[in-house]
Amino acid sequence: MSLIPATTVATAVGPHLFWITSRAAGVAALILSSASVCVGLSMGRRVKGMTGPDLRVAHEALSLATLAALLVHGLTLLGDGFLKLSLSEVAIPFLSSYKTFWTSTGIIAFWGLALLGPSYYLRRLIGVQRWKKLHRFTALAWILGIVHSLGEGTDAGQTWFLAMTAIAVVPPLILLGVRWAGSYRPPRPIQARTE
Amino acid sequence: MQPKESDNPSESRPSGAGASDGRALAAAKRAQMRLRARRIRRTIATGAAGLFATAFLGIYVQLASGHDPALVAAAARRSSTSTNATASTKSGSSSGGESSSSGQSKTSTSSTSSGESSSTGEESSSSSSATESSEPSSVTTSQS
Repeated sequence: MSLIPATTVATAVGPHLFWITSRAAGVAALILSSASVCVGLSMGRRVKGMTGPDLRVAHEALSLATLAALLVHGLTLLGDGFLKLSLSEVAIPFLSSYKTFWTSTGIIAFWGLALLGPSYYLRRLIGVQRWKKLHRFTALAWILGIVHSLGEGTDAGQTWFLAMTAIAVVPPLILLGVRWAGSYRPPRPIQARTE
Repeated sequence: MQPKESDNPSESRPSGAGASDGRALAAAKRAQMRLRARRIRRTIATGAAGLFATAFLGIYVQLASGHDPALVAAAARRSSTSTNATASTKSGSSSGGESSSSGQSKTSTSSTSSGESSSTGEESSSSSSATESSEPSSVTTSQS
């Protein structure tokens, strides 16, 4: 390979390298987190070709990959020459002046995922039942992440992004709806009993 | 990846070495599960890296070809700000409201036609919208 294309690419990407990296990591995080939620919600069900332990391993790996992508997504913004964000602006909600609401939504979603996800490793300490209740809130953090990507994402108006988000997000949303519908039991009507 | 249960002859269990056979069977099953888990982890790690690389490449190509939504919007915003500034200086201070509204509709059409060429030296005039504008301003260098 010659050096010319490499240098051309480097100079062209140069000023936007951190920005492109952050955007790519955000896209990856969106897909990975959606897949993780999907697998997590499928764990109680029968899935063709995968056993329970397989799904648990996949869920764990997808969650860790999501966290890694989110870290890249946030930390690369520190190097962006246009935004010039500080670490506190990236890590603490409502501190950044850049699209404060949407940025804060993303930061809250990140902390939600970062704290609730790895709490799996402390489930014995927390108590399994309590951890299970706590772990349900990761779905909320995931939804916040989607809201952040649609509200602030540079590519949010693009057809490919919307199509990709729909493909990634709709299946776990359906599973989430089914799970919520299953957990909700309406009270028995008293009239039906008396009649 | 053959399941060990099928390989194992069932007549070995009732015989004397049943306990050790069971233990060996469990160990084999555990090893198989570990191998399977490792394979799943590796697949997901590779997939995640591939996903990131694909997204990076896609965004880069979009940016290099001049179709990046943020950069196009930023260029249009800058050109509209510059035309607004010139319109306001021309019209004076008496009829500000109406002239500015008509000026905006004009710039929206003119910015689409000559968005990039007019966005070279407007940094100083667009100081008010620079805080609002969301994306890097060094667009024109890579968009040609």
